[in-house]
Amino acid sequence: MTELDATKRKLTRRQKQRTSRAVQYAVFAAAVLAFAFGADWGRLRNQFAQGDIARQMFPDVITLALRNTVLYTLSGFALGLVLGLVIALMRLSSVGPYRWVAGVYIEIFRGLPALLIFVFIGVAVPLAFPGTEIVGGTYGKAALALGLVGAAYMAETFRAGIQAVPEGQTEAARSLGFSPARAMLSVVIPQAVRIILPPLTNELIILFKDSSLVLLLGVTLEERELSKYGRDLASTTANSTPILVAGLCYLLVTVPLGFVVRRMEAK
Amino acid sequence: MHPLPGRRTPRPARPLTAAPPTAALLPALLLATLTACTSSDDGAGASATAAGGVKLAKAGQLTTCTHLPYPPFQSEIDGRVQGFDVSLIDLVAKELGVRQTILDTPFENFKTGAFLNSGQCDVAAAGMTITAERRKNVDFSDPYFDATQAVLVDRNSGLTSLADVKAKGARLGAQAQTTGEDYAKKQGFDPVSFESSDAVLSGLRTGQVKAVIIDYPVVQGWLKTKTNADAFRVVDNLNTGEQYGFTVRKGNTKLLAAINKALTQARSDGTYKTLYEKWIGPYDATATSSPAASPSAS
Repeated sequence: MTELDATKRKLTRRQKQRTSRAVQYAVFAAAVLAFAFGADWGRLRNQFAQGDIARQMFPDVITLALRNTVLYTLSGFALGLVLGLVIALMRLSSVGPYRWVAGVYIEIFRGLPALLIFVFIGVAVPLAFPGTEIVGGTYGKAALALGLVGAAYMAETFRAGIQAVPEGQTEAARSLGFSPARAMLSVVIPQAVRIILPPLTNELIILFKDSSLVLLLGVTLEERELSKYGRDLASTTANSTPILVAGLCYLLVTVPLGFVVRRMEAK
Repeated sequence: MHPLPGRRTPRPARPLTAAPPTAALLPALLLATLTACTSSDDGAGASATAAGGVKLAKAGQLTTCTHLPYPPFQSEIDGRVQGFDVSLIDLVAKELGVRQTILDTPFENFKTGAFLNSGQCDVAAAGMTITAERRKNVDFSDPYFDATQAVLVDRNSGLTSLADVKAKGARLGAQAQTTGEDYAKKQGFDPVSFESSDAVLSGLRTGQVKAVIIDYPVVQGWLKTKTNADAFRVVDNLNTGEQYGFTVRKGNTKLLAAINKALTQARSDGTYKTLYEKWIGPYDATATSSPAASPSAS
């Protein structure tokens, strides 16, 4: 091979990019086509898109299932928010034991599958405290389980937010005669909340999906949320359409929320 | 206070100069949050007493734990949970002068008795076979139903029996934690374990498994649907000598007595036969379980 040939053979960087991109497109197109022609659309339609089954799900899927999903999520989120803030402050505390307790809490509840926490709340809590009942029955238990999981994540989010508020803010507040606690509550935390709104909204979306685990607590027909409602109906109709409809109902809420998060992040 | 514009660079944690009053408040707040969720009730719920001195989980209702769907024993029909088990427990509730509420719970807790022990439910009714192993954790009522296991196969698979399933190495499905699954394991199978009876049927329908082993009454219910009857057939009936029973928390003798009383009563006054024919099928008085029959340990 002569030197001339070698230089000819060498691709410029742009050519290299072009070729690699062409290969990527080709692979993607092949995958899409393989799915489009390989999938048995007739069977899929029969199993997942039966109009009359979808129709008979309304209004219950909204008034009962989606309503319960929203209720479980919001109550869990509210509890997680309060508990998360407390734990974040403990993490930042100058008192050793507070920091350790908060640290252990976060490690445990971040490190366990939410599913196990639900099983634990459903069984272990009533066993540990005989004769007591969690307020609100299933709704209370769901809020507690989701709140405990959410609090661990939100505590870390809060901590990051509080640390992101410039030091000068605390100093300025202190120099105006605010007590440390007062400076924290009225100056630092309000600013931190603004910073962490997007990640908190993400946590809301995650809890919204985790609410599907409520079925592990034991539920009556009126307490079912979207996932369980969809699966139950799928079994009575021997068809998977209800699962698809339930999925769409989740997206009805999560997609707009995701949009809100992106808007907030862009600001 | 203006927030400073510009960079928000996270810095290493700075300890708050903790003010004693708030510092002391934090754990108190934490405790308050937790205890608010587990506050003790005023005794109206946890120890409600019904007729015959039976203690109930919730006042005025007999709370039943079950696992849906399990037709014809319990499944949702017209927005209510109905079935053979439901009707029988309704008789018990009537006996106690309360009404029945039904909680749908994961099936594995029937073996452990977890929801009974934790006081969430008074009784469990879920087409449960009486077994020695389950007896360790819960107390069983008198048997109320004789069950056999059936092997249902995909018609296109060409399978002819359970032995054939094994010989051809076809995938076998079963419901998790059931006697059918235990039986399959004992026969040397490694069954695909599904979470509920409808998941078992889906597995068969979608070809994930070629055969399933499950209680015969369930199969009977499935085959009432024409599409199922066209696609699947029963190739084996395994007479495992199983009997169904209701369970209560270990030591809950008063409720157990009430259940057994209602069962005996129903058998003698014909209610049992009526319900049997309504939910299960033709009633053969000679073949139904007598309370004296010994529980099998299958």
